[in-house]
Formats: sequence, C-alpha cells, structure tokens
Amino acid sequence: MIFCCLLAISTASAAAEKGNCRQAGPLVFGILPFISAEELVFRFTPLVNYLSENLQVPVRIETAPDFVEFARRTHEESRYDILFTAPHFFTRADHKADYRLIASVDSPEMWAVIVVPEQSSIHTLQDLEGKRLATVPPLGLATLLVRKTLFEAGIDPDVDLDMVITPTHDASLLSSYHGVTDASALMQPPFAAASNKVRDSMRIIARTESTPHIPISVAPWLEKACATEIADLLIGMEATPEGRTVLQHNRFTGYRPGDPAVYERLNELLSR
Amino acid sequence: MRRKTITLLQSLRFRLIASVVSIEIIMLSLLVWNNISIIHATHTDRLRDTAASMIQQIARTAGNYMVAVDYASLEDYLSNIIDYQELSYLVVLDRDEHAAIALGDFPAQPWPVAEAHPAQVTDGVFDVSDVITVAGQPMGRVLMGFSLSLMEEAIRKSRTRGISIAAAEIILTVIATVLIGLGLTRRLGILATAAQEVGKGDYSTRIPIETADEVGRTAAAFNHMVTEVSSRTQQLEEAESQSRTLLAENRNLVHTSLHVQEEERRYLARELHDELGQCITAIQADAESIRDLSRDSDKRIETSASAILDVSSRIYEVVHAMMLRLRPGVLDDLGLVEALKEELSAWQDRNPGIETIFDVAGKLEDLDERVNITLYRIVQECLTNITRHAGATRVSISLSGNADSLEVSVSDNGRGLDQSRPSDGLGLIGMRERVEGLGGEFLLESEKGAGVTICVRIPLHDEGGEARG
Repeated sequence: MIFCCLLAISTASAAAEKGNCRQAGPLVFGILPFISAEELVFRFTPLVNYLSENLQVPVRIETAPDFVEFARRTHEESRYDILFTAPHFFTRADHKADYRLIASVDSPEMWAVIVVPEQSSIHTLQDLEGKRLATVPPLGLATLLVRKTLFEAGIDPDVDLDMVITPTHDASLLSSYHGVTDASALMQPPFAAASNKVRDSMRIIARTESTPHIPISVAPWLEKACATEIADLLIGMEATPEGRTVLQHNRFTGYRPGDPAVYERLNELLSR
Repeated sequence: MRRKTITLLQSLRFRLIASVVSIEIIMLSLLVWNNISIIHATHTDRLRDTAASMIQQIARTAGNYMVAVDYASLEDYLSNIIDYQELSYLVVLDRDEHAAIALGDFPAQPWPVAEAHPAQVTDGVFDVSDVITVAGQPMGRVLMGFSLSLMEEAIRKSRTRGISIAAAEIILTVIATVLIGLGLTRRLGILATAAQEVGKGDYSTRIPIETADEVGRTAAAFNHMVTEVSSRTQQLEEAESQSRTLLAENRNLVHTSLHVQEEERRYLARELHDELGQCITAIQADAESIRDLSRDSDKRIETSASAILDVSSRIYEVVHAMMLRLRPGVLDDLGLVEALKEELSAWQDRNPGIETIFDVAGKLEDLDERVNITLYRIVQECLTNITRHAGATRVSISLSGNADSLEVSVSDNGRGLDQSRPSDGLGLIGMRERVEGLGGEFLLESEKGAGVTICVRIPLHDEGGEARG
C-alpha cells in the first residue's frame, strides 16, 4: 500500500515536470539566420522535434530575413519563446528584453577564421591588403571578431581591404571558394560543418580570439517551471540515446547550464 | 408516291448530292466534335499543368520566407504573380492555417477543397493547394484559384470557329455538289434524250459538246457513233430498197412470165381446138363416110377407114387432154368452181383409191381471170403433188369467198412434208410466187406423218383499192 502511494506520487511528480510548458501553447524557437533558412531548418528540426515531444507542446522554428530584423524582433517584440542566437546578441536581448539564459552549448569556446583557397597566394593577414574579404553581415559575430583581429594586426578593414558582405556563413565561405572574393571570414563551427570537398580545398590563414559558445535563453514571460524543464531537457540530452542523436546531428557535444557573466565581455565587440 | 420515291432514289443526281452532303455532315460533325474535345482537353490540361507548375514553384519558394516570417517580401514576390490573368486568388496559410497573405478575389473561410482537374470544377474556379515545406518540414500551405472564364471563353471561341468553318464547308460543298450534279445529270439527260431520238430513227440528232471533260468526250463519241450508224443505216436502207425493187421486178417478171405462159397455153389450146380439132373432126367425118361407103364394097377399105377413125379418135382424146391441161375451157366458160369440179373429177378418175371432199362457200362469181387461173393452177399443183408424194387416202378442198378475199385450202392425210429440208422441185415456189404476185398470202402447214395443208388467201382488191373482177 505504501509502495503504491509512493509510486503514484512519483508518477504525478514526473508528469508535473514534463507538462510545464503546455500552458504556453506552441513555443517559437527563434534561431539567428546565420545560415540559409533551408539549412537552418534541416539542422534544427531534430532539436525542436525532441523538445516538442518531451515538452508535450508544439515547438516551431522561426528565423528572420537578416540579423538586424532578428535582433529587432527579439528586442522589440520578444517574439521568440526560446532564443538561439549569437553570443554577443544574447547580452542585448538580456538587457533590452529580459531574456533569461537557461543553457549554453557545451563545447569549447568558438572563434572566427579567415580562409582562402588552397592555391591562393595569401598566407598572412597582411597579404589581405587590397584584397576582397567576404564576411557575414556587420553585426555578425564573425565580422566583429575579424574586424577586431585585423585592427590588432594593424590593418584597417575599412581602408586596407574590401569587405564584401554576404548573408550567411555558408555564402561567405562559398564566395572565395568560387573565386568571387579572395578570402572568407566565418565562424569556425559553420566552417567545420561545411562539406569535405569545400573545406579540404580551403586553407585557414588566421583565427580570431575565442568567445563563449551559443547561449540558449527564454523569453521573460515563460513560466520558470517551463524554462527549467527546457533547460533540463537540453542539459540532459547527452544522457539519452535520442538526445545524443540530436546533438550529433547539430555537431554539438551537449548543453550545460549557462552563465550570463561569461557573455558580458562581448559587449565590447558591439561597442566597436 | 412510291413510284415517285423509287424514281427519286434511282436518280443519279439525288444519290450524288445526298451521298456527298450526308458524308460531309457526318464527317465534319465528327471532326468538329473531336476538335472540340481535343481543345477542351488541351485547355483544361494546360490549366491544370500551369496551376501545378505555379503552385509548386510558389510552395518551394515561399518556404524560406515562411521560416523567416518575412511576409512582406513574400507578398512583394507574390503580388507579381497575382497579375496572371487566369489567377483568381492566391492565399498563403501559415502552420496554424491563418492567412499570412491573401491576394486577389479570395474566398471566405472555410478554405475551398483542392480539385485535381479543371473538369471537376463546379463553381467556375479551379482550386489548387500545395504544402509549403523547407527541408521536408511543413511551413504552411498555399492556395490558388484559377478562373475558368478565360479558358471557357477560349474554348467557346474555338468551338464557334470550328462550327463556322464546318458549316461553311458544308454549304460550299452542297453548292458545289448541287452545281456539279445538276450540270452532270443535265448533260447525261441530254445524252439520254439524244439516244432516245436516235432510237426512234432520228439520225440527225447531235449533242452539243460544251466541255472537254468525260461527259464532253462521251458526247463526241456519241455523235461519232450516230454518224456511223446513220451512214450504215442509210446504206442498209438503200440496199433494202434495191432488194425490194429487185424483188418487185422479179415478181413482176414472174407474174408476167406466168401470164405470158397462161396466154400461150390459152393460145395453144385454142389453136389445138380450132385448127387441129377441126381437122381431126374432118378426118373422123371423112373416115366415117369412107367406112360407110365401103362397108358393102370393099372390106379392106372399111377396115382402114375404121382404123383411121379409131386413130383420129385417139388423137382427139390426146389433143383434148392437152387442151384441158393447157387451158381448161370450162374455167373460161363456167367459172372456177366448175373447172375445179371437173379437174377433181378427172383426178378422181385417175386416183380412184383416194377419197375427195370439195366444199364451196360464199360469193365466187365474177372473179378475175388471173385469180381464177391462179387458184386453179394451185389446186392442180396440189393434186399433182399428192399423187406423186403424199400417199394420202383422203383429200379435202375448200373454197370460200367474200367481198374482200378468196380463200382456198387443200389438205391431205398423207406422210407430210419435212419443212426443214429444202424442196427439190419448183412447185411450192411457183405456188408462192403466183399468190404473192396477186398480193395474197401463202401458208403451208405440215407435220411428218400428219399430212399437208396449204392455205391461200387472195385479196379481191389490189393495193390501189380497185376490185379484181
């Protein structure tokens, strides 16, 4: 009898832990448009399906036409229930729209790289002078990191070379791969995720300083229990076979609890 | 009515026109129906394919906009598409079936059910739908409605054009067929009429040659044929005329010859009677006187005178018989009936085993001498033939006459005559010539073993209507 009561209490508790987001209705999973929409859906569909199944509430992927619009929707509309954005954008979201950090990608810090075609004569940053360098939009983390690195190398990116803006990291990489530009700047994870054919024909000539990895935050109105349930799901993903499959698809090793403080230093990049 | 119908059906003109017009109407109706079906199928298939192509393109393109919730850019893009003439409305629904974009004359909710083919449309708008996907994930739905009015207008125009062309072709064909048919059958009618005229003997008939086509060539051939027939007919008529002339001359010659012969016989008979008969009578008278005077004086003279008297009597009998053969005096003195009775009596005496019947009826007086001698000679010849060839036991002769003609029939019950064999003698030919010389008719009937019957009819008036007598 006592066993039965304990089992009932345990089951009820588990049910309560899993249904915290039902009241929130369909959750919007906002992802920074750092890659094409199709590629973005392809990459993150397993993750949102995993969340949807476990949260017992529909979770939908959304993005925006560009970084600026994504930031505007985040800051002004708080449109996204779950926010998957660049590290430097999180601090703004935190400050302007009270987004709460619930987890971070549990991977080593990430950085941006400058790559050139394998047979290119460019070998150093100085060789980039007078050349065309493809990069992501100005507010993109890769652009901010590369600009800082170039400045530190004594190169003024607004004067000494021609910065060519492309919509995504993939577009930036492919522009030099196809010879449209002389070099490409992009974050290291997208470069690592590129096809072997493209990646093997490119050569890294420089890397920037590291930044914390992608933060996962939630909108301020989301119930704490729901936020906690989402965080627990993310952090506990690597403990389940399904979770590991999702992480492998995203090329992530896992999620860990987030620390807002580590992202504060990125405000400097935006202030530049 | 039935006869008229049959005549109409037998008319080449009617059959030609009816056949061509019927075939034209049937075939063109089938052609128009087939074309309309093809046009309808082509238009509906085109609309279906166009709709499928457009909605697939939009569904694939709209995905990125839907993920990015970039409805403004998507609407800009779609606003160019809504200008497409046949497109009635275009609606993009998000994942919650809320209209993200609605352009054109879009319907009220609930959203219409998609149709697979324009043929299924009942409300004039072909509704199609497709799911918007990105990387295999549904991002919404696009609905499009295509108005059928333009398509139906195009089909209607095509149908009207097709029917107009078909009707024009039928009318032109009917006109052309009627004109050609009338022309052809009119000329054939002329040909038929001309043939009938030629058939009646009008060889002056000619067909005007209007054209150089088949009918024209037929008309030319007909004219040539008529010319040839006319020429040959003329030659035949001339030959026939000559033959008739020769025949008439021949008959006249025969008649004249017979007449001369009869006159000569009459002359010889008279001479024999008048000269030789008187001499024989004188010899007999002298011989009787000598016999009577010498009866008591000299027996030898009496015997010689008796011998002379016997010989002279015999000569008289022979001469008398010759006279009868040459010209029976009774014919001239007592007429045909008495002459035939006498001839028959003499013949009966010579042929006592044959029964003879002689019937006389009608008016037989005052006959022409030529008629008398002709009928007499015919009966005489018949009796001679019966004696020579028939082997008959009974002979029947009938003689009848009326105001117009005279008929004689001689029949026997002998072995008959094989008419397929040509006659060896001239008896029958002579009889026929005598009769036809008087414009009469000669008829011979005979079967093997059933005797012979010869009938002769002689008109009592010649061709000019004058009486023979």
